[in-house]
Amino acid sequence: MKQDTTPYKPIDVGDGAAIPHRSDAGLFTAWRIAFFGALAVSLYLVLSKPDPYLAIFKFVPDGILVTFKVTIGSILLAIVIGLIAGLGRISTNRFINGAASLYVEVIRGIPLLVQIFYIYYALGRFVKIPDIYSAIIAMAVCYGAYMGEVFRAGIQSIPKGQMEAALSLGMSRSQAMRQVILPQAFKVVLPPIGNEFIALLKDSSLVSIIAVADLLRRGREYASETFSYFETYTVIGLIYLILTLFFSKLISMMEERLNDGR
Amino acid sequence: MKILRTIATTAALLAAMSLTALAAPKSIKVATDATWPPMEMVDTNKKIVGFDIDFLNAVAKEAGLKVEFKNTAWDGIFAGLESDRFDAIISSVTITEERKKKYDFSDPYIQIGQILVVPKADAHSKKISDLKGKKLGAQIGTTGAFEIKKNDGVELKTYDEIGLAFEDMAAGRISGVVCDEPTAAHFALQKKEYAAKFKIVGDAFTHEGYGITVKKGNTALVAQLNKGIKAVKAKKIDEQLRKKWLR
Repeated sequence: MKQDTTPYKPIDVGDGAAIPHRSDAGLFTAWRIAFFGALAVSLYLVLSKPDPYLAIFKFVPDGILVTFKVTIGSILLAIVIGLIAGLGRISTNRFINGAASLYVEVIRGIPLLVQIFYIYYALGRFVKIPDIYSAIIAMAVCYGAYMGEVFRAGIQSIPKGQMEAALSLGMSRSQAMRQVILPQAFKVVLPPIGNEFIALLKDSSLVSIIAVADLLRRGREYASETFSYFETYTVIGLIYLILTLFFSKLISMMEERLNDGR
Repeated sequence: MKILRTIATTAALLAAMSLTALAAPKSIKVATDATWPPMEMVDTNKKIVGFDIDFLNAVAKEAGLKVEFKNTAWDGIFAGLESDRFDAIISSVTITEERKKKYDFSDPYIQIGQILVVPKADAHSKKISDLKGKKLGAQIGTTGAFEIKKNDGVELKTYDEIGLAFEDMAAGRISGVVCDEPTAAHFALQKKEYAAKFKIVGDAFTHEGYGITVKKGNTALVAQLNKGIKAVKAKKIDEQLRKKWLR
């Protein structure tokens, strides 16, 4: 009898949204049901009960815009922070490595909600920046830590031989990193970044706590004036669902094209 | 003999217990958003205190009720009443036409107005409309927020708690805060850090009555509360509480 030498295999489950892939038939069908179902339910509610559903849909669009701004601003900034943190984590310089690791450990150990509060009010003590930018900075500082780990794993996934080959060609270490390793690593990290983007889109609802007028806060404002809590949160939930499903589809399509090009 | 005595004492005990149960006042759960000093707040001993708390306790005593307070976030406090999580709300709730359509209220128990608080550096603004093009803060779903919204050209920022609005004004992110006069006075005049920075401008510009909120149709509780409020006012307890909590 043959013995399996590996006691277990690591399982491959992301913490982000499930991005449908054509090979996963079950999830792919579920995506379609959820996405078109959410659209149909929204349409049905607006047509059958314009008061309050149409009113709610009319009330929240500027909130959706703010949610977008926060999400896109944070993901871009988080990618920059994450890249620096990721490079720091694999640096052979003990000081840089220590600083990057400390950042990742500290940030990952504090709930995002607490960080948002903290950065918002801490920043307010020293500098005057508009609330939406503090929200973006808070989200980016948090997601930068997670992104840093994504980049670290991505860079480390590129075979060692690549770096050695580049060095033997007479490239400097940083040159090899920039021109050989990173371009390949970017391809590897794109799917997890897509997952982080979806997770960030959902977590952006937390910024409503610091009075940023995002989708959730607009909904809460509507509910607090009209007392139609059930109806409002139904709509808010549907809009978030449509947004995340739409973007996860978009990301999976991008991913497929990337794989085709390989 | 011994057994008989035990039975006798047990019976006596049970009788006494059932008697007290009969005489025990009906217990009601009351929600309050204890972030609205000095009307309702949490003190350093984690106890909910304030004018509303003392007032309702006095009312309950007169009406033969027993009150259990539940600290509840303002955003969603009405939803909790609707889903029977508590029997009533006492949380500086202004009786408005819109709210009356959805909920029942006791008789108003105190008259209060909205007031504007601005940074001391602002020498010009006297009312909300003087702050066109600026951001003003209020707690979400409060009459203060509704008042700001009435003014075109003034941007409303809504906060979960009024304290966060004052902290944002201290950070220079908003140009004014609108809230109930006693709460404004508490933050602008009593909190040391803010007293140096903020000032109350003008007089209260609305006249609002606070009411105890109950679920639509709970007329029995409204009648009981009104009876209690009447008795408290007749005994001038509310005036003592005013002296204790409001300036």
